[in-house]
Amino acid sequence: MTTLAEPSRVDDVEVRADRRRRLFAAMAERHLDVLVLGRPAEVAFASGARQLWTAGSRPFGPACVAVRTTGHTHLLSVSDHDVPPEVVHDDLFGLSWNPANIAASLGRIPGLREARRVGTTSSTPGFPRLLAAVAPVAEVVDGSEAVWAARSPKSAAEVARITAAVAIAQAALAAMVDALRPGATERGLVAAYLEAIASVGAPTPPTEGVACATPSRGPVGLRRIATGAPIEAGQLVVLDPGGHYRGYEGGLGRTWVAGGAASDRQRALARRCRAALDAVLAACRAGATGGDLVAAWASCGEALPAVPLAHGVGLGVEPPIIGAGVGAASALGPDTVLAVTGWVAEEGVGGFLERDLVLVTEGDPRVLTTSGRGPAGNGA
Amino acid sequence: MTVDGRQVPAEADRARMRAERHAKLQHELAAQGLDGLLLLGTSAVTYATGAESPGCDSGRAALLRPVAVVVAGAEHPHLFTPYPEGVPAELPSDHLHPAVVPDLDDGAATLAGELRALFAGSSRLGCDEVPHAVARALGGVRLLPASGVLGPAKLCKTVDELACIRRAQRVNEQAMLDVRPLLRPGVTQTDLSARFLRRVVELGAEQIGIDPIWQPMPPSRADGPWTVHGDLAFPLPSAPRQLAEGDVVWVDTGIHVGGYASDFGRTWIVGDDPTPTPRQQAQFERWRNVVDAVLALCKPGVSALELGRAARAAEGGGRPWIEHFYLAHGVGTDSAEMPLIGTDLGDAFDETLVMAAGMVLVLEPVIWDDGAAGYRSEDIVAITDDGWMPLSDHPYDPFVAA
Repeated sequence: MTTLAEPSRVDDVEVRADRRRRLFAAMAERHLDVLVLGRPAEVAFASGARQLWTAGSRPFGPACVAVRTTGHTHLLSVSDHDVPPEVVHDDLFGLSWNPANIAASLGRIPGLREARRVGTTSSTPGFPRLLAAVAPVAEVVDGSEAVWAARSPKSAAEVARITAAVAIAQAALAAMVDALRPGATERGLVAAYLEAIASVGAPTPPTEGVACATPSRGPVGLRRIATGAPIEAGQLVVLDPGGHYRGYEGGLGRTWVAGGAASDRQRALARRCRAALDAVLAACRAGATGGDLVAAWASCGEALPAVPLAHGVGLGVEPPIIGAGVGAASALGPDTVLAVTGWVAEEGVGGFLERDLVLVTEGDPRVLTTSGRGPAGNGA
Repeated sequence: MTVDGRQVPAEADRARMRAERHAKLQHELAAQGLDGLLLLGTSAVTYATGAESPGCDSGRAALLRPVAVVVAGAEHPHLFTPYPEGVPAELPSDHLHPAVVPDLDDGAATLAGELRALFAGSSRLGCDEVPHAVARALGGVRLLPASGVLGPAKLCKTVDELACIRRAQRVNEQAMLDVRPLLRPGVTQTDLSARFLRRVVELGAEQIGIDPIWQPMPPSRADGPWTVHGDLAFPLPSAPRQLAEGDVVWVDTGIHVGGYASDFGRTWIVGDDPTPTPRQQAQFERWRNVVDAVLALCKPGVSALELGRAARAAEGGGRPWIEHFYLAHGVGTDSAEMPLIGTDLGDAFDETLVMAAGMVLVLEPVIWDDGAAGYRSEDIVAITDDGWMPLSDHPYDPFVAA
């Protein structure tokens, strides 16, 4: 478990320098003088700082300002705790509730007032006015494409961190399997999951939607909100944990049978899911489109599930999002990592989910999740 | 003790709560002359729809987000969600839509098509976030800050909202009774998180709100991290960091029930049988005096400025809170929301912020005693029709109230 040492700390200097180089290169290519960032993951990517994790989307606001002309990354942070040394004290600005004070903090950032093109990754109805006050001559443009261009292709070191996060998720999966027995509840499985990731020093869940006992009778849907209902013997139970390693997300999804061996019909369902998932994984090559992935799934005769078939993974969830009504035109880039989810369901049997992480390359895709497939998936 | 003439029930009537929130949003939409709301933020969607969703990392919560649309004059909100299992029973099926991905162009185009069907012609919508893809897809629609509607609606809680906050706080507090015995030399911050997270879910937490904070405070400010303002660095994220005998640990955690946040804050001392020194006990008593001075004034009609002045007076004129925070903040579907008392919004703002029944105050004064660390706890009260009522109830161990 040496790869699990210090999962929640500021990352190494080489990783930080590489990310910063990629960000400023993406800005230069798009003639962006300044990027104003608000999402926690993009702030972590640009600054290298480790900040307090909170669940749920954050309101958009200027949390980090990268200025290409000076090479400085300015960070909203009251202290220098877990702020890497290249973000010097002069580049930190404090927390404020007063828009006038926020504007004053931004106004002190060298290079912003003269900036001609400023990218932001999102906006609010009030934000353009604030930005106009501190960057009066700037054309404000969509900077999200530059950020994703920098974030999406992963270095070998980033892939290693995603793999370490997969290992955390696998440890959590083992804990959930230990807790799974007839009479256990989804909530009990979530409790075991959260305890397990915190016990290895990485307490922040990519999502708490990690356990779903699928019904053996009646319509089957994939639920992400746990209930306190007792799980019955023979139910197919989806276990879909994730973990974070230095901010990078990993995870895997497997389906287990509560308290016993899989039935023939459950094993048949597992084979269907695996076949369709393997077809999608095989299609994950650089240059393929989201439409190609959907076609690979459909070629196995399975209905396209409501849950996205694939999404990018890095410092959390990233584009592309590929599934029903979204992402058909997205082209897969080399060195990107995708989480690919297969889900099939049948009334009278239950539901079966498997999720694997795959590294997209110019050649054969490299599956990063190596864990066994559980009793149902193994055909035991 | 009543709020708007009603008792706070032991358990929230969540259907009634949702209906009353919707009515408030409709009232504010009419007052602002808006045609509707387009809400993308997690807490705003929770408020507008009552829909449940699993706690998620912020990046996932942004890209794979539920979206709420409130149409002025309509009986129910519309919801686009990846989590249909969390949808309230009363939401008509034609108001429930498959998830969209508004941050990406194809998802934004789908959303824009739905909005055109709901709002005929040119419309003015309150909005909490405008991703570039949404701005591109919604050309012609005027997007104005949703805060003009959400702010007034959320400011005073209904009795059911208060019941949810009290329930969330109860879960948080009960879990802490099982965590505190672990606070011995050698335990790590993340060991404490492991016990805490397991227990809150077992006890009924529906979401985790924040990475739990167990921050050992240095005796002097100068021994802590550098800060932009010279005041304390708090809160700092946890790590597999060991705690030592005698460490003064500031605890701060939050979980959600019914979409409502809790906020637990206490000061603990690491040890097998920790006993505060007389100096530490005096810090606690000063904290208690500040809280008591504020509570003595708490009732409808008193201004935030008066409460802040009472807190300062109890501390001999000094400011008993951290410079970048506040004496008190509200709590609701956001873990910190209005009313905020003592922020850099300034005295003129605080003077206009007048307490009213249903407002919630998380009182979190900080006593700092340089050279001997300090004391910080959080107690939650609601303003009632004629005073206040507690929403938190937890011992101050190892400190003893006089």
